[in-house]
Amino acid sequence: MSGYTFDEWFVVRLAHTITDREVVFHGFASPCAQVAMHVAKRSHAPDMMLIEGAMYAINPTPAFIPPTSNDNSLKQGAAYSMRFEEFFDAAIRGDVDRMFVSGGQIDVYGNTNVTAVGPLERPKVKLGGGGGGCNISATIRQLTLWTTRHRSGRTVVAECDFITDLGHRTPAGTRAELGYTGGGPQWLVSELGVFDYDADGRMRLRETWPDVSIEQVRAATGFEFAIAGDVHSVAAPTEAEVALVRAIDSLEVRRGEFDSRELEREFEFTTTPAR
Amino acid sequence: MYLDPDKRVDLATAASHVRDASLVALGGALTSRLPMALVRELIRQGRRDLHVVGSAHGMDVDLLVAAGAVAVCEESYVGFEQDLGLAPAYRRAAEGGTITVKESCCVTILTQLRAAEMGLPFLPVRGIKGTDMRRLHPEYAEITCPFTGELLVAVPPLIPDFALIHAPLGDQFGNLFLEQPYVLDERFAGASRSVIATVDQIVPTDTLAERGVTIPGYFVQAVVEVPFGAHPASSYPNYAYDRQHMSRYVTAASTPDSAEAYLAEWVHLPGGEDDYRAKLGPEPLARLTSWSQSVDQWKGLFV
Repeated sequence: MSGYTFDEWFVVRLAHTITDREVVFHGFASPCAQVAMHVAKRSHAPDMMLIEGAMYAINPTPAFIPPTSNDNSLKQGAAYSMRFEEFFDAAIRGDVDRMFVSGGQIDVYGNTNVTAVGPLERPKVKLGGGGGGCNISATIRQLTLWTTRHRSGRTVVAECDFITDLGHRTPAGTRAELGYTGGGPQWLVSELGVFDYDADGRMRLRETWPDVSIEQVRAATGFEFAIAGDVHSVAAPTEAEVALVRAIDSLEVRRGEFDSRELEREFEFTTTPAR
Repeated sequence: MYLDPDKRVDLATAASHVRDASLVALGGALTSRLPMALVRELIRQGRRDLHVVGSAHGMDVDLLVAAGAVAVCEESYVGFEQDLGLAPAYRRAAEGGTITVKESCCVTILTQLRAAEMGLPFLPVRGIKGTDMRRLHPEYAEITCPFTGELLVAVPPLIPDFALIHAPLGDQFGNLFLEQPYVLDERFAGASRSVIATVDQIVPTDTLAERGVTIPGYFVQAVVEVPFGAHPASSYPNYAYDRQHMSRYVTAASTPDSAEAYLAEWVHLPGGEDDYRAKLGPEPLARLTSWSQSVDQWKGLFV
């Protein structure tokens, strides 16, 4: 194995937002998050509880990831599948530790818009919709946000045109003021950088990809963001992790989330992997 | 409760229960167990102004919208996921203002269906506050919990006129066997005034009972045997979804003219579903049933 591509590294970085013994969920239309959860489960988080997206299957071991999130191939190896109600009840009572969330727009506080860009009555772009995220983003313990479209300049914006899923603060108030039990976004992993959130709930650059300058990140972001004092490079993936990505996602469904430009980003393994 | 001992009818009769402007819950989700034969038949019958509701859906909603059959859409998501992208006809209609978008949230819909099943005038949800969802739902209200003082959003019961549900197996009483995920189908059955069901196969009740009854027949007004009635969605354990056909549809739906051409070619067929299956051809349909032969065969369906 001589090298790896950006999509593989991105998925491994997403996987490392999961810690062991967490109960973790991804939504539909989320192949990068989906593959990342299986990578985590088979490497550093063996005792996480993996809830498979639209199948609600517990710890399945699918032979491949299909291009839709509710194919039966995704519940293979699972002894139990939750009912729809069981999953959403667990999420709203606070028994789910982490959910992966993306959006057509993501603002400085990590609110996301998956409903409509432009005026609501006559949107410029009608996005697909949020599934269950509107309610469960309030109560799930932590959120990992991700986007593969930061570079467009239209995704990470000062304000969302519509808030579908909750970040740390909305015009109506903070999570504490709204009475929400979930902790909100912990990470935003984008193809331009990895961000966390400061005490005020504002996005902050924490890790950089080696082929992206901070100026490029600034140019693509709709607001001024802080840079963490300990900002550092994203840890390189191990050969074993990249092999896992390839084995789990042999149909390369994850690559559908990226522009061709991002898929051309290639990297070499160093002799001493960082992890 | 529907107590007739034999609810078997033909597809045209089953679909004719649904009226213009009915509130219709669509069963299944995304690419799984969509009630496509009923959707196609409603289009053939020229149904208009439907108010559709459901969780995360795709081609069922988009095809109804493409045919001009929808006035209000209250699904939590309409699209073809990362693979095939946004729903073309739904997007066009929403952006052009020709349908009313009342996008909802899976949890809210579930809560509203539970209120309907319990005969309650409302139930609270913890979320929604702070999001923009109430801009789409002025009917929601706020309530202060009498025990804790918490301010919660109250949502009214959701009572669909009809739930359209496709199942792999059923019997003449309308008992239905589903494979997981059931999504909202059980709740739709309990909350709706009527369930109209299609099944790939009607079997004797004894046979069905051995597999297990997921939705009891007393909720079901009419049941129709329609082989491949969910196509191009899946109906496990019988067949996987037809990604090639969905992709063909998404391409066709990208302009009004080519969407019309798709409807003419695949929906407005004189022989209805018999013509639809004949047009698809026995070999491509058999291929969708071959998923269980091997992992490679299954995976090969999605390349």
